[in-house]
Amino acid sequence: MRPFNKNRVFGGEPVLGIAHETDRRAFLRMAGLVGVGAGLVAGGLMTGASSAAAAVVQSADKGDIDILNFALTLEFLEADFYATGLKKGLINGRELELITEIADNESSHVTSVRALVKQLGGTPVNKPTIKFPADTFKDKLSFLKAASTFEEVGVTAYHGQVGLIKSGDVLGAAASIAGVESRHAAVLAALIGGNAFPAPIEKRRSKNEVATIVKPFLS
Amino acid sequence: MNHQDLIKGQATDVSPRLALGALNNRWAMAKAADFANDVEVLNFALTLEFLEAEFYRQGNKAVQLSGIEGKFLKQIQSDEESHVKTLADTIKKLGGTPAEAPKVEFGDAFENRKNFLTTSRTFENVGVNAYLGAAGFLKDKGILQAAAGIFGVEARHAAIIGLLLGLPAKGGVFVGDVETPKSKDEVLAAVAPFLAGGAGAGGTETVIIPAGAPDTGAGGEAKDTTGLVQATTGGVLVAGAAVALIARHRMAPRGEEDDD
Repeated sequence: MRPFNKNRVFGGEPVLGIAHETDRRAFLRMAGLVGVGAGLVAGGLMTGASSAAAAVVQSADKGDIDILNFALTLEFLEADFYATGLKKGLINGRELELITEIADNESSHVTSVRALVKQLGGTPVNKPTIKFPADTFKDKLSFLKAASTFEEVGVTAYHGQVGLIKSGDVLGAAASIAGVESRHAAVLAALIGGNAFPAPIEKRRSKNEVATIVKPFLS
Repeated sequence: MNHQDLIKGQATDVSPRLALGALNNRWAMAKAADFANDVEVLNFALTLEFLEAEFYRQGNKAVQLSGIEGKFLKQIQSDEESHVKTLADTIKKLGGTPAEAPKVEFGDAFENRKNFLTTSRTFENVGVNAYLGAAGFLKDKGILQAAAGIFGVEARHAAIIGLLLGLPAKGGVFVGDVETPKSKDEVLAAVAPFLAGGAGAGGTETVIIPAGAPDTGAGGEAKDTTGLVQATTGGVLVAGAAVALIARHRMAPRGEEDDD
């Protein structure tokens, strides 16, 4: 079994293929700037919101839209990861119940972030082509370990982004997703016997760390 | 409304209704007058952290938990103690006076495992709601960042406690696709049963818990403290986090040592 590098998701294998060069460059730029987790947490604001909300959105900072699009790419990845994993039938019982809810959360985040980007006047990025390393879903433990690593990277990278979001409203919404990702990370850690509370304050990733983590995602 | 001025005024071109509608987030419902400056937000958070830390200090002594559960609850206690120290240190660096520990009364929360964990879950989820509801008032980005970091850890605690209680994934361990903010008044109402002798009973001159008497004054003076500390506050909070593991700070309210 391929050991998972602690600082890399999916053992450092590239899992994302981004067809459009513009999207790809935007993703790389944001990855260096804000980190992987940014995506996991920066979006997801629109869940359940009324469409009337669109009317009040007048303008948005370009940088915030870039961050949200970066977020969207990562939410696509997460949602696809769980959907693929669940189809393998590796888990059941309580674990299945928990992972199903996490998968639903991520799927909602995709919908939410796409809608938000649109409402802010931006163009949502397309779903990337995603290819997970063959042994990602080899067995239950591989699946859960990959999920745990992924969620932890997301959380820590997000906290490197907090200071970069310009709109207070987008920030508040991003935080409301960040908390959910923290819950995911804690529960997954508990499921694999890891550390559910790795620090009293969520850690942040430096730019260098983030770059190291993100590059392998891009094919 | 001072509300839009969340981050050094950079959000002033965004309609406050954006938060209410587009973000499905009741951020905008919090009153602008809830907090006049960062120190007030931090003291509000500090009071909650005092409450939480003392809760676990007493509970971990009074309630026998199994190995893994006991380990989780001790880690949580250590985290809360760390938060108390971090917040108090930061308030001092900002030139403010940290709130004192409130007097507490936990009733039958430690009667058995289930009561302990159930009350714990309430505290953690209220903590999550409180940080999210108050974060919009923080003007200093360094402080905001650290507050977000604490918020995330409270969410971890809440999820794990839900897991230990065997609650449903949906609505128990996880509480939706997004976390929900609460206004100061809502948070105070939620923790009121645990404050002995009424709100603000800690005897501090800084009244953190104005029971039933929310500020109605304007929040227009909120900018003046932040410029001084812009370069240092993030560092303070981060440094506080680093020493948190030492957990040398004791939160026992004076004159209210163990009564078990």
